[in-house]
Amino acid sequence: MRNKAEVKEKKKILYVQTSGIDTPERLYAPFILAMTAQAMDLDASIYFLIKGITVLKEGAAERIKIGNFPTLKEIMDQAIKAGVKIYACAQSCDLLNVPKGDLVEGVTIAGAATVNDLVLEADGALYF
Amino acid sequence: METELDLRGLYCPIPVLRTREEIEKVKMGDLLRIMADDPAAEEDLKRWAKRTGQEVVNVKKEGEEIMVTIRRIK
Repeated sequence: MRNKAEVKEKKKILYVQTSGIDTPERLYAPFILAMTAQAMDLDASIYFLIKGITVLKEGAAERIKIGNFPTLKEIMDQAIKAGVKIYACAQSCDLLNVPKGDLVEGVTIAGAATVNDLVLEADGALYF
Repeated sequence: METELDLRGLYCPIPVLRTREEIEKVKMGDLLRIMADDPAAEEDLKRWAKRTGQEVVNVKKEGEEIMVTIRRIK
């Protein structure tokens, strides 16, 4: 018989990013927290909403770098490699004229029902 | 068996991420001894161990440096 702990589902944590490339100091934390969450055996997702989707536009994260920190692109790639799931709000793309085809690879385009569902199924959520 | 992991000079969240990588290379029941000087490391490593089900067997502080010994139990 399998150990109970092994079959137990991982706890879920959700980060919601509503800040965009005009406030670069707000962009690192969700990626850093989410990759650390993966290392803590949590299942981490980041949902990019409103201005947040500007972060996911191809080429945007490469141009963001603060102080001694690596570029935001490096941090984003590390988070994706660690298994963090990235969602982009479809309506926010339309609102801000960001073509969905211009988003970085590996992003899941989703909508209102998904973000509501992610909040409800998460064991905790943080908003940026 | 005890493996040493020198994380001095590395800062949050690297100590936790490296500890996670290294614990998987340690045999079940063996120890991982971590040296760090990140002021966040003590609290973070203790919480990481509790969350992931590993055992903290010893925490020693010397000035700015901290040594955390973790036994791999899962």
